[in-house]
Amino acid sequence: MREMIRLFVVILIFSAVSGGLLTILHSKTEARIEYQELKFVKGPAIKQIMEGSSNDPLVTRFKLKDDTEERSFYVGIFDGDPNIVAFETFGKGYEGDIGVIVAVNVENDEIFGIGMTTNKETPGVGKRIETDVDFRLQFNELSIEESIKLRNDGGQIDAISGASLSSGGVVAAVGSAKEIYKRLKPEIIEKLKGFKT
Amino acid sequence: MAKSAVQEFTKGLWAEIPPFRLVLGLCPVLAVTKGVETGIFMGIATTFVLVCSNVIVSLLRKVIPKGVRIACFIVVIATFVTVAELLMQAFAYSVFMKLGIFMPLIVVNCIILGRAEALASKKGVGVSFADGLGMGIGFTLSLFALASIREIIGNGTFYEIPVFGESFQPFTFMIEAPGAFVSLGLMLCIMNLLGKK
Amino acid sequence: MGDLILLSVSSIFVNNILLMQYLGNCPFLGVSKKMETAVGMAMAVVFVMVLAGVFTWVVNTYLLKPFEVEFLRTVAFILVIASLVQFVEMFLKKSIPALYAGLGIFLPLITTNCAVMGVALILNKEEYDFIHALVASTAYAIGFGLALVLFAGVRERILLARVPKPLQDTAIGLVMAGMMSLAFFAFKGMA
Repeated sequence: MREMIRLFVVILIFSAVSGGLLTILHSKTEARIEYQELKFVKGPAIKQIMEGSSNDPLVTRFKLKDDTEERSFYVGIFDGDPNIVAFETFGKGYEGDIGVIVAVNVENDEIFGIGMTTNKETPGVGKRIETDVDFRLQFNELSIEESIKLRNDGGQIDAISGASLSSGGVVAAVGSAKEIYKRLKPEIIEKLKGFKT
Repeated sequence: MAKSAVQEFTKGLWAEIPPFRLVLGLCPVLAVTKGVETGIFMGIATTFVLVCSNVIVSLLRKVIPKGVRIACFIVVIATFVTVAELLMQAFAYSVFMKLGIFMPLIVVNCIILGRAEALASKKGVGVSFADGLGMGIGFTLSLFALASIREIIGNGTFYEIPVFGESFQPFTFMIEAPGAFVSLGLMLCIMNLLGKK
Repeated sequence: MGDLILLSVSSIFVNNILLMQYLGNCPFLGVSKKMETAVGMAMAVVFVMVLAGVFTWVVNTYLLKPFEVEFLRTVAFILVIASLVQFVEMFLKKSIPALYAGLGIFLPLITTNCAVMGVALILNKEEYDFIHALVASTAYAIGFGLALVLFAGVRERILLARVPKPLQDTAIGLVMAGMMSLAFFAFKGMA
């Protein structure tokens, strides 16, 4: 029994030292990893939407508390005005959640553009939400007040043929983005003032 | 002492080069040799873990009780794998994404545990370091060789740079799973032909 | 229900862990020379893989995620698997000696079987819920066993064939594995 306890203590010490060291390293690299993750996962979508902005939207970002969740917002500055704010939302697709970056123009409350981040849709079918530019562009300049639906449900968005579930997921994500935006609008506007040059 | 360290180093490069002479750690060899880039990074990460764990295990060889030595080795190895994982996330995120689950899987690479058990837990720090470095570099070279063959034939590129003209039809078999097994088997055969020397 | 069946079929055949995901190749080549040992290993792996899948899922969901220490995943998973193997070994030795006699020698090898760790990591990456995690790990385990036993059958035959000297043993084993992998490749068309 004594022996058992000794062995157990040794493993415990080993694990504790390892956990401690890794925690230190993690806290040192955390910020960098977060930026890298941003650059490679959400980055392409954000950059694509904000093409032509005078800033790097991955750097000009802020966080807001939304109930229990913390959300990241990315700011696009065009002609010196920080009017575009983008954030990620999710909608249920064919398999798992579809991540969508939705950018809103705060001046006129219109959708500025959307882009896809992570999803597990079927390659060649649902995955086309990533590559089908026409599908994505349909969302541009729709008002936040408008109800956005697929044409099959009496709305204005044409689904990608054969991938209506995935298209529906994107629409759902945009819908939840509208809610988030409406809920947080005063705080967003307040934060955006800080980016004015 | 100095001579034996050199011997330990060089044997990893040819006489006992993993995974050809020492048939261990095949999974990463098969999985990450689709492209030269992932192959090299996998080799570097494995070398890093191998050298560090060999040194630490050798330093602590008198402290670790026999009964739990494997568990202790595993904790040491897992710690360094996580270090490598964090560093790669911070500095080479695109490669990290391509390696996917094979990065954490270095922890179960039999070469590393095998070296810790067979050599580092019995010999001095210098010898263990030399052995780890030799084995690591040997492993990297093998990965590089196999990855070059598979990428050039299977995809017509080398380090993602096209090497053949437009008309080249890639032999996709080589970069898929079956090609991995067959090409590794044939390389093993060639190594056997060349003889131990 | 339908998606669970789909998940198990795709985990056993389409994404077969040995031949398609390249995981667990060391025991694949190491113990496949004789049918008897291959069956023993396959059973031991099925047993441990399902348990490991469930346990790592619990650890991940109720320990790592709530405390936001997901970067300790590798260390935590391997410790869970290693201690699990140890406990299974002790349990079998005491309670079911007959089974221990069959599986005993394979159990220590499983700790460093990348298929077990690999399944744990795949479940984590795909963010399955509990039922899906259970079904997927069972299906992956069955797929592993199936490939191992089939392969052992082929290898027993090769012993009788005249293989050129440099190709003998592991080299021809790998080429054969490639051929089998090619056969499993056909399942991809189903997906």
